[in-house]
Amino acid sequence: MSKKNKIYWFEGVTEKGVKSLLTEENSKYRWLRPQRNRRILVALMAFGLIAVAMGSYWPTLKTNMNLSNGAEIVIYSVTAIFVIFAVLVGYLFLRISVRGIGDAPNELLDERQIKVRDTSFRYAYYAMGYVVLGLLLLMLIGPDLKMFQPKGNDGSYLVIATLFAFSSMPSMVLAWRERDI
Amino acid sequence: MLLPMSRNPEEPVYNRIEEVRAALGISRQDLADKAGVHYQTIGYLEREEYSPSLVLALRLAKSLNQEVSELFSLTPFKKGK
Repeated sequence: MSKKNKIYWFEGVTEKGVKSLLTEENSKYRWLRPQRNRRILVALMAFGLIAVAMGSYWPTLKTNMNLSNGAEIVIYSVTAIFVIFAVLVGYLFLRISVRGIGDAPNELLDERQIKVRDTSFRYAYYAMGYVVLGLLLLMLIGPDLKMFQPKGNDGSYLVIATLFAFSSMPSMVLAWRERDI
Repeated sequence: MLLPMSRNPEEPVYNRIEEVRAALGISRQDLADKAGVHYQTIGYLEREEYSPSLVLALRLAKSLNQEVSELFSLTPFKKGK
């Protein structure tokens, strides 16, 4: 009997990957399980996402900080690489901390885990609504604020931050709310 | 940003899962395997922090050789029952 590793394309996970997270196979990540540690991780992720988003306003920030060209390139490049890498690592740790429940398909979860996952998606939907509303308001009133002038700024970091937020929000909600994972 | 953490106060369902499981000498993992759930769900059930569906309640009762009405109740069980 072949033991195929089923791929759940819609959720973007594999059967073996989810099962290894749900069991204690990854015992070296036990330090991520306590709610206090998970909440710290969520706070760091939120900070990281905001930092990535702020990359879009770097030209304006740089002008306000009055940096030389050389210093600007170094600070900008190193910070961008570090922050994006940190957010990516944070996202992976976040998934591990909640045992991958936020991304798992129904057939790999029991009824309580399904309920917990669906509740986290509901709160994530509300949270992303507030985030998108905030971004739209920023786009509307940004030109009136000297700090956020659209000329010379690059919107790609905002897009990256929003995509990361969409994908990680259910796990962030799960990691924050649940006492025992 | 803190989201409101209110939980819907469901009607509590009392159970004797831990008592019967201990009497039978079954671990949470063993009971979880028999009932087809994660072992932490058994913990939630025993702490009465989660109310099972009818299907799960029936599976648990079968696994513990009990009737559903002997295992679950809407009123607290008398001690020693």
